[in-house]
Amino acid sequence: MDFQDYYKTLSVAPDADSKTIKTAYRKLARKYHPDVSEHHEAEEKFKEIAEAYEVLKDSKKRAQYDELREYGAQGYGQQQNQSQGGSGQQYSQSSFDQGDFSDFFSSIFGGAHQPGQGAGAHGFSTQSAARKGQDIETDMPIFLEDTLATTSKPISYSLPHRDAQGRVSQVNKTLNVKIPAGIVDGERIRLKGQGGQGLGDAPPGDLYLRIRLVPHPLFDVEAHNLIITVPLAPWEAALGTSLELPTLSGKIKLRIPANSQTGQRLRIKGKGLVRKDGHGDLYAVLKVVMPDSVSEESKQHWQQLADATAFDPRMEWRK
Amino acid sequence: MELNAQYFSLEEICYATQSPSQTIIELINQGIVEPEGSGPETWIFDTQMITVTKKACRLHRDLDIDWSGIALAISLIEELEQLRDENQRLRKRLERFLDQ
Repeated sequence: MDFQDYYKTLSVAPDADSKTIKTAYRKLARKYHPDVSEHHEAEEKFKEIAEAYEVLKDSKKRAQYDELREYGAQGYGQQQNQSQGGSGQQYSQSSFDQGDFSDFFSSIFGGAHQPGQGAGAHGFSTQSAARKGQDIETDMPIFLEDTLATTSKPISYSLPHRDAQGRVSQVNKTLNVKIPAGIVDGERIRLKGQGGQGLGDAPPGDLYLRIRLVPHPLFDVEAHNLIITVPLAPWEAALGTSLELPTLSGKIKLRIPANSQTGQRLRIKGKGLVRKDGHGDLYAVLKVVMPDSVSEESKQHWQQLADATAFDPRMEWRK
Repeated sequence: MELNAQYFSLEEICYATQSPSQTIIELINQGIVEPEGSGPETWIFDTQMITVTKKACRLHRDLDIDWSGIALAISLIEELEQLRDENQRLRKRLERFLDQ
């Protein structure tokens, strides 16, 4: 267990007054709060900051910590048992479960250690020990195809489990979840009682699943419509063609009119995503592409075309 | 497993978020949470409102912001998330046109 320098965590001097500490905490908390920050280590960082502030804002805890910091920081590993014996008081939580604080914190101020949540389960606990178990929030990736009809999908997540001796460890759990047709990105599903267990008779917490639509290799989502980019050879765009177009529910025939343009959108009604009030549409966006290499023969054909066609693609520039 | 009901009464949202009803009413007064129904007896909340309430309570507690500040923060965070999503979508569509 490493010694935690709470002053360093908050970037304040060891003799900083309480106002300076408060300001430093607020500044860092705004930067790293997991509800605000996009920083990939925001949650970890914020826990460290909250823990440091929890100690330094409280004159009694701060004095206790300062003493340890002065005399025991170097040989911390040997001193911890002694200091643990000295502080029998149970810490009452205000910002996190006490379990969310480090071993270091628990060794000074008491409280059973509870490891942080495993990868994938993000969010943090908000309940005090006497209340219901910890809520778990986690992302649930869903393929676009799976939103067309109501399906059942497995979700695995980890949650803290307390054994009869009060030791807490992370356990993995898998549930089959019914995903209603037409679910949208960012929507949340609550599974009552599937979160962390409650203490004693307290009921368990809940599981919140945040639906994340997995990016599709072919289709982009725009509200309840889908977009697919259709590459066309220049002659297909010029002469028109008929092609097989993939949709989320199998292939269909699509007719490309003659004289089509890059960027042009063709609407295929009802082939978008499912909504409560019907289906969205699929838009085929055309994109004219050139072959990678041009043979000598093709080059002659292009030359003939160039000679025979009066077309100025940069007309706009001449105005 | 089958989904539990995804709509909640005032009592149920208080329990789910472990918040007193005054907090929920404060969030409604600020327009952060907008339940269906005309008053406490008939209010109906959805899952999204539970997660917003939980987020609002975390911000209130951890950042020491008053409720009107929370309302502003939540609407700015939502707007930021929407813009990020939109930006990501447009980037991806642009890539489909620019690669090759």
